[in-house]
Amino acid sequence: MNDWQRKSPLDWETYVNKMVKVGAIEKHEYEGWVLTVDPVSASIVLATFLENEKVSISIVLGHAVQEVEILKEGDDEMKQRLSCIFAPEESKAYSPEELEKRKNNLKTWLETNHIPVTEQGESGRTLCVAGVLTIDPPYGPEECSSSNEIILSRVQGLIQGYLEKQE
Amino acid sequence: AAMLVPVGVLRLPRGPEGSSRGFNPASPRFQALLGEQMTAQGVQANLRQRYLRALGAARGHPTRFYLRAGVQVDAVFGAADVDAVAFQVDALRTPLGVQAAALLRYTDVLAYTFLL
Repeated sequence: MNDWQRKSPLDWETYVNKMVKVGAIEKHEYEGWVLTVDPVSASIVLATFLENEKVSISIVLGHAVQEVEILKEGDDEMKQRLSCIFAPEESKAYSPEELEKRKNNLKTWLETNHIPVTEQGESGRTLCVAGVLTIDPPYGPEECSSSNEIILSRVQGLIQGYLEKQE
Repeated sequence: AAMLVPVGVLRLPRGPEGSSRGFNPASPRFQALLGEQMTAQGVQANLRQRYLRALGAARGHPTRFYLRAGVQVDAVFGAADVDAVAFQVDALRTPLGVQAAALLRYTDVLAYTFLL
C-alpha cells in the first residue's frame, strides 16, 4: 500500500473537480480533471475534453500512483460539466429546472399523503423516503433504491400511480 | 408508617428535544463525538458512487490498457470486480491474436483509458 492509497476519503475528495498531473510508476504521467477517487482501490478517474466534443476518460490504478500534483481548480461551470459526464441517461432529457419541479411536486405529493420525505445528497437532488428509500432524478419508479423490498415495491407502485395521474 | 408524599420528578440534565428516545444525529453532542465519521462515510459513498458510474459508462467501449514494462493492449471493456482484483474484457488484442474474453489482473494494470 502506497501513500496515496493510505489517504482518507476526505483527503481524496479535495482532489475532485481539480485539474491534476498524476505521476505513476514506470514514469507514466496522466493529466486531467479529477472526476472521483475510488475509495476501494484509490484509483483516480480523470477526464480530458477533446476538440470534437468527445471526452477521454483515464483511470490510474491506486497501486500505481506515485504523486498527484494539483494544477488548477475547477470553476462552477467545470464542476457542472464534470458531474454530467456520467449522469444517468434519463436525466439528460430534462433540464435542471424541470428536474427541480418534478422533485418538488413529488415531494409535496408524498408529504400530502403523510409519507416522511427529506432531501439529501449533492444540492439536495436525492429524495429520501422514511430514511430507508432514496429517489434519484428524474424521480420515477426506476430511480428508487432501497434495501427493503417491500417498501421498495410499495413506493414504486405509489409513484407509478402518481405519474400516471399526472399525464 | 408515614404517608408517602409523591414528589414531582425533576429530569436533570435536560433531555433531548422532540419525541425521540435520545438519539439525535444532528445534536451538537453527537456531531462532536461521531460527526466526522458520518461525514467521512458520506464522502466515501459519494466517491464510490461516481466511480461505479464511471465503470458503468466504460462498458462496451474500446479501451487501451497500460500494463507494466511499457506493454499496451487494446480490448473492449467488460467489467471490474468489487474487490479490485481483476478486469474482464472482450476482444483482447494480443500478439498471438484476439482473445474473445479475458481477465486482466489489477496488479498488472497501471492505467486504462477510453473515449466517451
